[in-house]
Amino acid sequence: MPGIELEARDLVVARSAKEILRVDQLRIESGQMVHLIGANGAGKTTLIKVLCGLLRPTRGTVRLNQTDLYGLTGWQRCRLRQRIGYIPQSAEYNADLPFTVREVVAMGRASVRPLLRGLTRSDYRRVDEWIERLDLKDRRDQTFRSLSGGEQQKVLIARAMTQEPNLLMLDEPTSNLDFRWKRKITDLVYQLRDTMKLTVLMISHEISSIGSYSERTILLDRGRILADGPGETVFGGPAMEQAYSCRIRWIQREGQRMMVYENPDGP
Amino acid sequence: MDPYFYLIILAGAVAGASTGFLGVYIVGMRMPFIGTCISHAAMAGTVMSYLVGISPSAGAILLSVLCAMPLAAIAPDRSKLDTNVGLGIVFSLMLGLTFLGIGFVEGSRSEILGLLWGNILFVDSRAFLAVVVTAAALTLFSWRFNKEMKTILFSRSIASATGIHEQFVYSLFLALCGITLSVNLRLVGGLMIFSLITNPAAAAYQICRGYRAVVLIATLFGVLSAVLGFLASFYFDLPTGACIVIASSAIFALSVVYRKLGSGGD
Repeated sequence: MPGIELEARDLVVARSAKEILRVDQLRIESGQMVHLIGANGAGKTTLIKVLCGLLRPTRGTVRLNQTDLYGLTGWQRCRLRQRIGYIPQSAEYNADLPFTVREVVAMGRASVRPLLRGLTRSDYRRVDEWIERLDLKDRRDQTFRSLSGGEQQKVLIARAMTQEPNLLMLDEPTSNLDFRWKRKITDLVYQLRDTMKLTVLMISHEISSIGSYSERTILLDRGRILADGPGETVFGGPAMEQAYSCRIRWIQREGQRMMVYENPDGP
Repeated sequence: MDPYFYLIILAGAVAGASTGFLGVYIVGMRMPFIGTCISHAAMAGTVMSYLVGISPSAGAILLSVLCAMPLAAIAPDRSKLDTNVGLGIVFSLMLGLTFLGIGFVEGSRSEILGLLWGNILFVDSRAFLAVVVTAAALTLFSWRFNKEMKTILFSRSIASATGIHEQFVYSLFLALCGITLSVNLRLVGGLMIFSLITNPAAAAYQICRGYRAVVLIATLFGVLSAVLGFLASFYFDLPTGACIVIASSAIFALSVVYRKLGSGGD
């Protein structure tokens, strides 16, 4: 399952004559793990939706492995999107329905099989493999709505993985989770990237959970890329102060590097 | 017993099954108002076709499907308009057209009002056949597009982003929704159709675990609401529509109690 290369050029998304996103150039190499950060309203979700083909930009191109996503017909675009595993924010899925965990994970095979064809036994074998792999076997027949937030995220990741994607896009998968689950989910995504050689783009508000191990972080501010580089460089750089109105310092405590937020107006 | 009695029961059961089943998607997608909206589109279509002298069913189906199509264009990621707001706008327009059309009807309006509100007691073999055919079409659709509809029900964004032909399947579903509701409207009436879409499915969502169970139980509850309502109206000489609405509401109330007692659901 090799990763996919993603390239965006001269992207502009405008609403009511106001630019809400402008990205001149963005290139994500195959197998790269990229964190997308920024304050509320910075344009993170808009960018991820444009990149996965959900939102047509006002101008510009998005290429997945050299193929222009928006130059394709609707049906061709559907074929290309089958290679994208997408995990939206919680407001975009209906967690109140009594779907079982297995049913939700099996949805990952829905786009792999052609229209008018049902899922086969081999599809369900793959579904069960991922349920087991992500340690959800005990939850298999439970309803999705009865799970904790962290477990629900694991189920959504299992759903995305049964699709056998080359590119995984996650929109704030750790929001509303406690610190233990934030770490678990982030570690799981890294693990999947390493073992499955996926390209990953993940939005996160929780820069503390990304920590110092982010190999590439993109900081968005008011629809523009302010900084792009390794986590330590971006978090410690001046762009953070501009985007969040605060400074971030790295401190060493009990052998571990930790981030500390500094309020410039504080004591 | 008069064979006509059984035809009414059977017609009610099939209409209850179709609307109960349809409700699984409509309630699951949180747009129960679509029942009222499409019913009123069917009403406007009925009035318009009555005025121009064509088959009321054809007009009702045509306008219902035409109304459903713009709703299909409202996508969670591409539109600033919420589906329920869109439904409200289409509903008010259809209501306006209905009353405008009624204003043009000369002489007694009882015939046109009867067409609008429907009555299960006036079912004939043609109407029964139409209900059976749409129920079969709905079953076929659900069977062939089962995997796509499940994902759309869970999240239209996920369905769309991961390569499911979401717009195509969703449009097809709304068109079928328009046809089913307008065909059933003549038999069941505007008030009942809303309760038969909402209550059985809402009850099933309360007590079931798993999609298949929800589909089966909602369909069964739809049948039960229609049949129990009709039997109550027959034996106690009460208005049929009201009895069916009360029966479906009672089923919902019982399912809530069942869930509260910890016997059903998760």
